[in-house]
Amino acid sequence: MTLAGRTALVTGGRGGIGRAICARLLREGATVYAADLSEGGSLGDEGADSAEFVRFDVTREEDAKSVMALVAQARGRLDILVNAAGIEIEKTIEDTTLEEWNRSFAVNVTGTFLTSKHALPLLRAAARQTGGASIVNFGSYDGFIADPGLAAYCATKGAVHALTRAMACDHGPEGIRVNAVCPGYIDTPMLQSFFGGEGSGGGGKSIDDLQQAVRDVHPLRRYGTPEDIANLVNWLSSDEARYASGQLWVLDGGLSAQVQQMRL
Amino acid sequence: MGSGVAIVTGGGRGIGRAIVARLAAEGYKVVTCGRGARPDDLDTAVDWVQADVARPGDAERINEAAGDAALLVNNAGVQVEKTVTESSDTDWDAVVGVNCRGVFNMCRAVLPGMERRGGSIVNIGSISGRAADPSMALYNASKACVHGLTRSIAVDHGPRVRCNAVCPGWIMTEMAEDAFALARDPEAARRDALTRHPVGRMGTPEDIANMVAWLASDAAAYVSGACFTVDGGMTAASPLRPGVF
Repeated sequence: MTLAGRTALVTGGRGGIGRAICARLLREGATVYAADLSEGGSLGDEGADSAEFVRFDVTREEDAKSVMALVAQARGRLDILVNAAGIEIEKTIEDTTLEEWNRSFAVNVTGTFLTSKHALPLLRAAARQTGGASIVNFGSYDGFIADPGLAAYCATKGAVHALTRAMACDHGPEGIRVNAVCPGYIDTPMLQSFFGGEGSGGGGKSIDDLQQAVRDVHPLRRYGTPEDIANLVNWLSSDEARYASGQLWVLDGGLSAQVQQMRL
Repeated sequence: MGSGVAIVTGGGRGIGRAIVARLAAEGYKVVTCGRGARPDDLDTAVDWVQADVARPGDAERINEAAGDAALLVNNAGVQVEKTVTESSDTDWDAVVGVNCRGVFNMCRAVLPGMERRGGSIVNIGSISGRAADPSMALYNASKACVHGLTRSIAVDHGPRVRCNAVCPGWIMTEMAEDAFALARDPEAARRDALTRHPVGRMGTPEDIANMVAWLASDAAAYVSGACFTVDGGMTAASPLRPGVF
């Protein structure tokens, strides 16, 4: 129970990765708010945890204000903010409409900005009481190297990486640590959708064959689970990580440690 | 146009040979070296020193043969395709000797004069010094050493000396041709490799020579301590390309 007595808010908290983070933070003893567009999120109602659901569209500033007012009233402070809400448009820039581009930035970048901005007073309150507070943003290994046909997504994640360092710089003196986790291929509805799209260009292979081929390219011979990501988020949010700030933590089973593998 | 003397290590073949040709065309007096005898078809205007850069005395000898070098290109390199557990002490000495100690030996020999006169050093690093190629443990590590040494020299020996590295990707040399020839399906392997290069082709030794010439030129007067990748865009993309499976 590394997080007993702490209060956490997880955006995208009903999504594939967000739900695993909520479950993990709950197990560590935190009071957890799962903020998302709908209570079922991307996985439906199956496997819902006991995190308190709050309806939150991260692109709306009024929502950010009212969610923080709710946390302020109930808890008086926020120790842990996890900005896990994100969307992915699977297109090149030529095929991406302006609306899709703006939507990507609205959720992935503006959402991180608005949520963090309005959480700051509560994070400061936590830092004053306990000596520290933590924000974990969601970058991606795609913010470092590109997957084909994910242009807007790659760009938003690069923006989140830079924003993470900027926030760490600005709010470190107040006792607020800011880090980003950068997942590789994680088994989520988002990834299954990506396989569906890419699979059509994969020489008629079944999604199962495609997934096996993808596993084989990973040094650990599997792709990640939401729980793998939740483990790192939990550590970064805990006192164990009290000197960790401003960093981009790639968690990809070793995928990006290698040069592209020629099939010889 | 270049002027003065340029030392290119390992200029007998492959990338080094293309660098020698390019720098000679730019107007440098080129001195190159290798462990074997002078290649028969080497331009007669180019000086050849039979030497092993892994040996400090040989590095001094190359520097003395060159006289006042304005440019040093550390291109000589060897590759052993093994994991850590497969690598022998001999492999370590071979790879670290040439790729790490060779660069160190040459820089140490050339720097005192170059600091007085001004000049530039270009090291050949590798994309493999940043992310790993499988079964190339010592090679990958040796190239990361080159990148680190590049930055150190830039920091310690500026402002009179600039030091940079070029990190080539897959360059079609005899070495790469051999690798394709050994593939189960050489044509499929070649097609697959091409797909992974956004520019639609593999590199040529001349592509690397172009970057070396530019880094050595006055156009690059503000470039120091940099490791520039020339790989046709390969490492800009994820190692995972479901589209080509």
